[in-house]
Amino acid sequence: MSRSRNPDKASGTAATTVVVMRLYIAGSAPNSIQAIANLEAICREHLKGIHKLEIVDILEQPQRAMADGVLVTPSLTKVSPLPAANVVGNLNDKNKVLLALGIKGKVA
Amino acid sequence: MNPKLNAPQQNPARSGARPGFENVMLRLVKGGPERLAIEAGQIDAIIDTASGSAILLPEAQRALIERKTRFRSLVALCSDWHWEQDEHYRFAARAGAGVGSSGFDDAHIIGKALWELPFDNMSEADWQTHRNQLEWRATFHDLELRRVDRAGEVRYISVDGEPVFDQQDEFKGYRGTTRDITGRKQAAALVQGSDRHARAALDALAAQVCVLDPAGTVIMANQAWRACTAVNGSVAAGVREGANYLAVCDNAVGNERAEGGAIAAGIRQVIAGESRSFSHEHASDSPAGQRWFVLTVTGYRGDGAMRAVVSRENITERKRAEQLLGLDYTVANQVPAVNREPANRVSVANSLLAALPHAEYQRLQTGLEPVTLTFGEVLYAPGAPIRHVYFPIDCLVSLLTAVDGHRALEVGLVGHEGMVGIPLALGSNVSPVRALVQGTGTAMRMEAAPFRKELLQSMPLQRVLYHYTHALMAQFAQTAACNNFHAVKARLARWLLMTRDRVRSNEFRLTHELLAQMLGIRRAGVTAAAGALQKQKLIRYRRGNIRILDRKGLEAAACKCYRVIKNVSGRP
Repeated sequence: MSRSRNPDKASGTAATTVVVMRLYIAGSAPNSIQAIANLEAICREHLKGIHKLEIVDILEQPQRAMADGVLVTPSLTKVSPLPAANVVGNLNDKNKVLLALGIKGKVA
Repeated sequence: MNPKLNAPQQNPARSGARPGFENVMLRLVKGGPERLAIEAGQIDAIIDTASGSAILLPEAQRALIERKTRFRSLVALCSDWHWEQDEHYRFAARAGAGVGSSGFDDAHIIGKALWELPFDNMSEADWQTHRNQLEWRATFHDLELRRVDRAGEVRYISVDGEPVFDQQDEFKGYRGTTRDITGRKQAAALVQGSDRHARAALDALAAQVCVLDPAGTVIMANQAWRACTAVNGSVAAGVREGANYLAVCDNAVGNERAEGGAIAAGIRQVIAGESRSFSHEHASDSPAGQRWFVLTVTGYRGDGAMRAVVSRENITERKRAEQLLGLDYTVANQVPAVNREPANRVSVANSLLAALPHAEYQRLQTGLEPVTLTFGEVLYAPGAPIRHVYFPIDCLVSLLTAVDGHRALEVGLVGHEGMVGIPLALGSNVSPVRALVQGTGTAMRMEAAPFRKELLQSMPLQRVLYHYTHALMAQFAQTAACNNFHAVKARLARWLLMTRDRVRSNEFRLTHELLAQMLGIRRAGVTAAAGALQKQKLIRYRRGNIRILDRKGLEAAACKCYRVIKNVSGRP
């Protein structure tokens, strides 16, 4: 589960392939709620109908975070298409998320 | 942080897990994105691979504990489930018995606002009204929402919510309860349908009720209706199921002809969807003397087709009481010395309407309908056409001017003493200001076209409205000058007094945010000014509730503008 160094490579396929993501959160802690809201907004705008999002609450399932190599929450992992990518934090930086998800598009 | 210190505590079963504990620690220590995010305060928890559990960071821990404590106090409330939202109205927690069946699991609602959930009965404007309520930290009740659940069934929920404030009176979000009201809604729908349940329910009513199809045929009538038609020979009575009610009205003869025509016209309007309801009072002679009835027609859309429900109630008692009252007036008229309240005026709660002579008011009344205006509702948007004028009774409407597109400032306040929609009286059908309901209550409403017609015909109405327009202009002018020159405390005092006069109560609901908007100042300015007035024991302010303790003292603290505005309004 290494972070992608070249996320742009995936951009060509992002428009048609379903993007599978996993968001790790800690209950309803403030940053976690913020991350969900941010991600929902991004998905609505850029991935309408072509994404699958699984939300994992690490307060309930800490072992899943460990198995996936997640160290902190909130943390977003792109599972497919490859290459896998990871963004940590409350996802306020939209550009960073778009880059990691391999969605090409300049956002002001 | 030396990873080796922790190594012995590592769970042997996990030692082979990827990535290794040492790698994890190294990444954290060396300053990967995780560490940057921690430093930026964007992280809630760290996974401790040694213990296999998550460790909440202090900030997140505090937030969760705070929320949990507040949440617990809600459990006592009897509801299907309860919830809490953060400052941005996003669901942060929810719990309760009905959650499973509701189809609202965490993944569905946490992090989302109500309007982001798949409800299908709310328009954009409905949501805007709701959001205005939230912005003003209002408590809301019985927000009914409809959606289709996973099984494809239509479900209704009703949501209540109240704002949450912390010790410093800072707004922390909303909390509330949600009930599944699908059962109740289904019952209501059953009554609307034409089956035997509906019949049983209708038969239990004392009023005479029948249901008409779009053509005017009586498709259902209750017991009271059937019983009465047998003994009563008044207009449009005696219409049995299967007969055409409209035809009977149209074919009325003699004295009943005009009444029949009026009733038929009213019903046709309701069926056509032009008006939601219609009501008509009429008298009939019976062996026991004259009796009065009020006929109310309301429309509803059954399974596609429009239906009209006609209900006829006996109001003889009320009419007799009114007649007695009329007698009193006559007596009072003949004793001018004790004639404190002019007897030819009607006692209505709106001052403008009350100032009209009785005959004028009677004529105007046919076009007036009572409406409930809800806190947060926008009556006019700037530049949009005016569809109705409103005579407030116990509601409060704020007239706001926006600058820079979003910053609004209040320029006028309208309550029972005035009318909303003055541009229409001056020949313009566009509102230059935003009219926002600030206190829930009732008002009499009239459509723009009939209002203009009435205004052209009625001198007394013109006189009353021109006088009010003058007062309103004076209010605009004085407010503009006051906003510029006077200290915040004096302006706040003036505004509270004006609100008090208009809602006729010493206590009302207001938030710092709203006050700041009304006075065009920052929230901190309101807090300081309200604090000063409170210290002087002139008002008591607590969590959005304002109570005026000392009106005279508050008047002394207010700028002279209050007197100026009041004097102009009060002048005949």
